[in-house]
Amino acid sequence: MASYAARRRSNFVWLSLCWASTAFGLCFLIIILATLFWHGFGGLSLTVFTQPTRPPDEIGGLQNAIVGSLIMTVVGVAIGAPLGLLAGTYMAEYGRHSKLTFVVRFINDILLSAPSIVIGLFIYQVMVAPMHHFSGISGAVALAVIVVPVVVRTTEDMLLLVPGPLREAASALGLPRSTVVVRIAYRAARAGIITGILLAVARISGETAPLLFTALNNQFFSANLNTPMASLPAVIFQYAMNPSPVWHSLAWTGALIITLAVLALSIFARVFSSKGSAK
Amino acid sequence: MTNTPNGKAADLPTKISVKDLRFFYASHLALKSINVPLYTNKVTALIGPSGCGKSTLLRVLNRMYDLYPRQRAEGEVLLDGENILDQKQDLNLLRARVGMVFQKPTPFPMSIYDNIAFGIKLYEKLPKSELDGRVENALRGAAIWDEVRDKLSASGLSLSGGQQQRLCIARTVAIHPEVILFDEPCSALDPISTAKVEELIDELKEKYTIAIVTHNMQQAARVSEYTAFMYLGELVEFAPTTQIFTAPENPRTQNYITGRFG
Amino acid sequence: MTDHTVRSYDIELEALGRKIAEMGGIAEKMLSDAMDSLATHDSNLARSTVASDLRLDILQREIEEQAIMTIARRQPFAADLREIVAAIRISGDLERVGDLAKNIAKRALKLGAETRMQRAIVGLKSMHETAAMLLKDALDAYAMRDAERARQVWTNDVELDALEDSVFRDLLTFMMEDPRNISFCAHLLFVSKNIERIGDHSTNIAETVVYLVTGEVLPMDRPKGPSPASDLPQISK
Repeated sequence: MASYAARRRSNFVWLSLCWASTAFGLCFLIIILATLFWHGFGGLSLTVFTQPTRPPDEIGGLQNAIVGSLIMTVVGVAIGAPLGLLAGTYMAEYGRHSKLTFVVRFINDILLSAPSIVIGLFIYQVMVAPMHHFSGISGAVALAVIVVPVVVRTTEDMLLLVPGPLREAASALGLPRSTVVVRIAYRAARAGIITGILLAVARISGETAPLLFTALNNQFFSANLNTPMASLPAVIFQYAMNPSPVWHSLAWTGALIITLAVLALSIFARVFSSKGSAK
Repeated sequence: MTNTPNGKAADLPTKISVKDLRFFYASHLALKSINVPLYTNKVTALIGPSGCGKSTLLRVLNRMYDLYPRQRAEGEVLLDGENILDQKQDLNLLRARVGMVFQKPTPFPMSIYDNIAFGIKLYEKLPKSELDGRVENALRGAAIWDEVRDKLSASGLSLSGGQQQRLCIARTVAIHPEVILFDEPCSALDPISTAKVEELIDELKEKYTIAIVTHNMQQAARVSEYTAFMYLGELVEFAPTTQIFTAPENPRTQNYITGRFG
Repeated sequence: MTDHTVRSYDIELEALGRKIAEMGGIAEKMLSDAMDSLATHDSNLARSTVASDLRLDILQREIEEQAIMTIARRQPFAADLREIVAAIRISGDLERVGDLAKNIAKRALKLGAETRMQRAIVGLKSMHETAAMLLKDALDAYAMRDAERARQVWTNDVELDALEDSVFRDLLTFMMEDPRNISFCAHLLFVSKNIERIGDHSTNIAETVVYLVTGEVLPMDRPKGPSPASDLPQISK
């Protein structure tokens, strides 16, 4: 019985430690969110979404930055997600035991943890420098490079989770390999793969570093991918560095908008995946 | 007629005839010169301890092993006299002729209706009404129609384990195969579901040639007409089931089925 | 044969075998005691013979129940299945042997002090010896799982049939000689029939042993001696 009491004591100690560290971590999250709302919520107004950025003394908004961010994110995902999806499919479905898969997986893992500024510099070298100007498209490509490893990883993982017998059962009906992958494996892994893509979107929508060297920024509205393009993170960076209190306030608002957008995406991803797996 | 290890081959029409089959996992020889017939419209049980190669043999019969690298088969497997191990063999066609039901129920992540219709649509373009009929027939054929008729659009995964397994059998039957391979179809099922599947196998043999791998000796004795006992990659004894379970010739068979080793 | 993975299974089968052996011993003793009581007019011996049939019946019940339990519990196959089927069949045969011996003992009691024609009993004695030998051989074959020996019993039963035939003729002759012998000899006729039946049961046991050891089922038509009915001495035309 003594050992039972001892076990209870040790259980209590460890459980308390777990609680404490969870509270510690959550604490910062709450502080960050609270600060964001405290400073940013007051600035939220229609003009933020309808007016482009203006000089420090005029009343302006973030319209061009929001649109720029949206465009580059969408284009970045449009480029990166299919690439990642196909690569992940190859690794999980076709070349599961091949050397190539092993090498790709290794490199992909490195890319996954590569600092995003390095990716920005890389795109600067291969796109911005030869073109002699910053552009939205190079920003989108830089974001795509960040998307690829995330999607590769989640796609591969999710497809590997599809039970082998399911594939065998499909093959046993005489389905060609491609049909098995597209109609059965994708279907079974759908929720996970889409969640992966949404996570990639969330990740790139907050990236600043790769955009500084590629899309740069633009004070005016531009939907042209061939010109420099504003983006929320870049604008926040710029405004936060400036002493103008108006800009400061806008920067907070921008940060809040990104955070809320990412939060919405995450919730959507979570709801979607749980719905998918329940089905 | 195949020359089986103890000359117990009966003079019956043979659907599949395995001749001198050897099978390799990379360099490991998993099947050593197997000779065995599957008689038309008969149920043949493959029994033996784990790792004896019975599942491997089954997976040669529809060339399921082709999905994996470094696995290869040598020798002959004649389906209606044609060697299916031939490189020119169309695998999808073969698998449409030789269906397979697995140990764990594997319904596709789609509706009950689509689980059945999926395979049919792959081979035939049918108008909706005809397709409905085929789906119903398949579900009836697998003795599950009455249980699912009111919820055809529900997910296949919402069914119970036994129902899922019968759904998988229906799916296999739907594309009109000639041979059905069962790989321990009841090992994940409760006794009632097992009885239903066994009853089903009994009905299916009217139309199909059946091979079943099972660890359950009573099941082999119940459902099969011929039994092959395998041990360490060899076919030890092939004989009518009644003989295997009352008076097997080989002492190793005897020891195995009476629970004396393994 | 090696042991079962499940030890208690072996123990169950061994228990069955032991009980069969016990039944065999009792049946053999009952047969010889019954014949002795007949020859020596020992009514105590006859009564104890009748009494010991009870034990035989109980044993047979036990074997049957145990066999059924084992079938239900273990779903025996092959040699085990044959072992259990053999136990059921042999115990049935031995129980019948006991009944037949009991019947002989009862006749011995009934005959009581009636004058005995020793020469009439001589033929029965040699029948008894042959039958006892058959029974012993069958039981030995069972104990040793010896199919060859069992086959011998199967063929040797012919001798008993032949003996019965000659006993039949002798008794018939005695009855014709002197009608006062009829009652006595009629009883002896039944005794000879009983012994012949015991021989048949021994043959059944032998057949079962062959099946037990080899799984082989012996042919229906066993070699038969001339049936006593086939050439009856003609009782006057």
